[in-house]
Amino acid sequence: MNVRASMEELVIDGLCVDAGNDRIVADISFSIRAGAPLTLLGESGSGKSLVAQAIMGNLPAELRASGRAVLDGVDLLAGSAANRRRRWGRSISLMPQEPWLALDPTMRAGAQVAEVHRHVKGRGGQESERLARDDLAEVGLDHAAMLYPHQMSGGMCQRVAIAITHAGGSDLVIADEPTKGLDTELRDSAAARLRREAESGRLLLTITHDVAVARALGGMVGVMLDGRLVEYGPAQAVLGEPRHDYTRALVAADPETWARQAPAASGDLVIAGRGLSKSFGDKTLFRNLNIELRAGEIVSIVGPSGCGKTTVGNILLGLVTPDEGEVVRANGHASLRFQKLYQDPPAAFIPHQPIRKGLADLAALHGRQWSEVEALRERLRLREDLLDRRPGQISGGELQRFAILRALLLDPVFLFADEATSRLDPVSQKEVIEFLLEIVREKGLAVLLVTHDRHLADRISTKLIRLGDQSPS
Amino acid sequence: MTAIDISLATPHARFGASRLFGAALLLAVGGFAVLGPLVVKADPAVQDFSASLAPIGGDYLLGADHYGRSLLARLAHGARLSFGLAFLTMLAAAVPGVLLGLAAAWKGGWLARGLDLLATVVLALPGLMLVLLLMAFAPGNYGPLFLGLALTLWVEFYRVTRAATATILVQPQIEAARMLGFGPGYILRNQVFPAIAPMIATLSAFAMASAIVAVSTLSAISVGLQPPTPELGSMIVELLPYYAEAPVHVLLPAALIFLLVLGLQLIAQGDRS
Amino acid sequence: MKRFLLARLAQMVVVAVTVGALCFILMRVLPGDAAMRIAAGRYGPDAGIAGAAEKVRLELGLDRPWPAQFLDWLGDLLRFDLGHSLVTGAPVIEELKTQLGASVWLAAAALFLSLLIGPTIGLLSGLKPGGLADRLGLAGAAVFRAVPPFVLGLVLMLVFSKQFGWLPPAGFGSPREILLPALTLALGLAAMSSRVTRNAVTAVASAPYFAFARYKGLPEPVVVRRHGLRNAAIPVVSYLGLQAIYLIEGVVVVESLFAYPGIGHALVHAIVERDIPMVQGTALTMGLMFVVITAAVDAVSLWLDPRLRRAS
Repeated sequence: MNVRASMEELVIDGLCVDAGNDRIVADISFSIRAGAPLTLLGESGSGKSLVAQAIMGNLPAELRASGRAVLDGVDLLAGSAANRRRRWGRSISLMPQEPWLALDPTMRAGAQVAEVHRHVKGRGGQESERLARDDLAEVGLDHAAMLYPHQMSGGMCQRVAIAITHAGGSDLVIADEPTKGLDTELRDSAAARLRREAESGRLLLTITHDVAVARALGGMVGVMLDGRLVEYGPAQAVLGEPRHDYTRALVAADPETWARQAPAASGDLVIAGRGLSKSFGDKTLFRNLNIELRAGEIVSIVGPSGCGKTTVGNILLGLVTPDEGEVVRANGHASLRFQKLYQDPPAAFIPHQPIRKGLADLAALHGRQWSEVEALRERLRLREDLLDRRPGQISGGELQRFAILRALLLDPVFLFADEATSRLDPVSQKEVIEFLLEIVREKGLAVLLVTHDRHLADRISTKLIRLGDQSPS
Repeated sequence: MTAIDISLATPHARFGASRLFGAALLLAVGGFAVLGPLVVKADPAVQDFSASLAPIGGDYLLGADHYGRSLLARLAHGARLSFGLAFLTMLAAAVPGVLLGLAAAWKGGWLARGLDLLATVVLALPGLMLVLLLMAFAPGNYGPLFLGLALTLWVEFYRVTRAATATILVQPQIEAARMLGFGPGYILRNQVFPAIAPMIATLSAFAMASAIVAVSTLSAISVGLQPPTPELGSMIVELLPYYAEAPVHVLLPAALIFLLVLGLQLIAQGDRS
Repeated sequence: MKRFLLARLAQMVVVAVTVGALCFILMRVLPGDAAMRIAAGRYGPDAGIAGAAEKVRLELGLDRPWPAQFLDWLGDLLRFDLGHSLVTGAPVIEELKTQLGASVWLAAAALFLSLLIGPTIGLLSGLKPGGLADRLGLAGAAVFRAVPPFVLGLVLMLVFSKQFGWLPPAGFGSPREILLPALTLALGLAAMSSRVTRNAVTAVASAPYFAFARYKGLPEPVVVRRHGLRNAAIPVVSYLGLQAIYLIEGVVVVESLFAYPGIGHALVHAIVERDIPMVQGTALTMGLMFVVITAAVDAVSLWLDPRLRRAS
């Protein structure tokens, strides 16, 4: 990586974004210097992406930016759209979110890098190809020049995107949700790569909703809420001793900061898998796996995606047949008392059916009273008016709590939570996990938690099982 | 023709302007097809040579053809024939197609493989060719025409139902419903049918449009229904030699086919932007 | 690639067996004696001698059980021994040779015209979704899709030959004669492909890779040339596979309508006259034409879209 001797600085002063007469981003000021990257933290709708788009100059046509954004003495907000576009790839480059979608599916990786040299820098064809190979080698992709995007993993696509910004050689790199759709390991390595970009002397602006990414990048952190910058300062200070309520909630929601609160196993064996093995095609997921759950405990399985965590739970529930081994259930429990929570809450509900109808059908099917549903609803602090909405019309966190309600109605002894909080925003994740812990203590059911989040598993589980430990790339 | 064009047929949730227009069109032409033969007392087969090619608006409301047959009566009966035959064909294709598609998606295994093979065999030839080959057994008869059309059109119902149902059946919502104790009846009624119904409705409209086009086309190239049956396609061809004297007469049945097909396609396609 | 070839080969066999089986049954179901009809076909319609029929019966093994006969029939078929026309007595294969040329010209001209019209309109509509060109394109496509080819053909014939006398209404031999039937087919094809093109163009224009190409700093013409055209062409080309059905069916209809001496026209004639060897020969040829067109579309799709090559 070429270390750059640079004096550049990006200064944002009083940046506002208006939609007609509505001010949706108000009075943002910060500066980015070489070696001190800035991370803008916030949830979707907080306006953080609009700030990036205003600097980049690709705001949607109906939005208007005002204020100043000065890079090397040039005001990025002034001038025509054509002017701004001329800076793309030259002085500002964008690391796209979900790079596997941002690469042209019909063009080889090498060509997608080389065209920057050829058509932006105006170099010759052969020289461009050679330089592109160097750019790819720099991110460890010497072998990938002839591959198409569909032949590469998400992490490799991300590295191609980085090679493309290197080819441009711009001063300012804007990374828009660079870890969206990546699992923990890939997220960490992507963050490390971005950090190296900053260390090599580039100005780096990263947009993310993930506290862990902000922590990994270091430098400066700005927290955005409802179009305003509510907190801004060095990462350690902001994330270590947050002052604003929202930042505090955000940091508190990160499992890494939680106190350990694992329930202790209290009771008898509920379900066990003995000597389980499973392969899909040539790939062996696990061999001779033993797992046991007792009443009142939380057992977590952690591991990278594709390691077979979910399959273990599905085997226990009888949804998947193991190649070898057996599942033993404690005597006397009806199979309906073994229930499951799903990763994507909306996908586990009937899309066009109001929640109330689904719950009423369920209560009727099993001879329960509606009053039991109401009692659970209040217990899970779900507002009554949510009952008349459809699954798509309520938040993921609320819907997952309805899924818990639905399971509790059947008086479960075992609950398999399959990445049940991974699609939720951090605050909702914390709420759902807290309810889960309360219920485990109250009802003494056994919970199998499958997650890719080591910290989450560490904090709340009685026992921990690691799958697929053999060196995730 | 008999190729149903599903790529353009994504049903739209919004009941947009063009779909509304299609419904109105279909209601008007369909009403004419259903009620016309009852209201118009004239016999579509009675000839009156003194009225040959009678003009529009005279004794005959829409004029008369070269044999002096009431064009209004012939159009009404022709529309009823087209519409009725198309409707029956659609039913004959949709009912087995949907049921087999559901069965294949639900059961899988040899049943699905066998049905897939059958569907592939039918699709190896363009639909109209199959209909033509069957028409060779008995040109001018309803039987092979109906059979041939149903035989080609069921495949699309089968494939769409099977694919759509298979996609739904692997969704967590189905597994969740089973885990919660709901039976196959509940799952079919509340999860599968509501999801595939809009697609089936779209396909049905397309299938009817295809059938109407195929019947009139085959009759026009004298392989389908034969004169004197008041069939819209053969009416056009019969009247064609008299185009110089009565151009509008020729265009009336053509316009009727066009409106029927347009109505069906607009309903099927909705307001695609 | 191998997989696609095998699939198309299997399709050819299915076409041959389906057409062969139907014609075999047809031969035996039709009233009258099969041997008599074949004899008439082979030695001319006037020959009609019972003795000749008897010879044919023995020679062709028409007295043997029908499964054996069917296998023989199929064997002949696969060796392209298509027999003689019952009407003219000429070998079917000879008749097909001239007709096939005419039909291929028609299909090619129609396809060419439709690719000239459809994607152009689609591009104009897709550049500004919801604009005037888009709405006109949508309305035009809706109208032309709703007009059956034979009606469209008749209207064109009435307008261009009867009304204005610009083009001949029927016949074959010069580009002037091919224009009307080809245009009839092309308009129907273009009505569909224009919308597919339009949707492909809008999809590409809003695709993340298209935006990213701009953010890379590429000039607009380079963005369109390197990242727009190929991606937009993929759905349009694969849609041509579906259009092959419309094209083949349309050829049958339009040829009959314009008395254009191609395979489709011959097929319809053979059906009306129940000339089964000719029915078999023409249906087989049209079926194979269909397979060849779809195979060509497969090949172009494979070349355009590397994702399809994944399986092979």
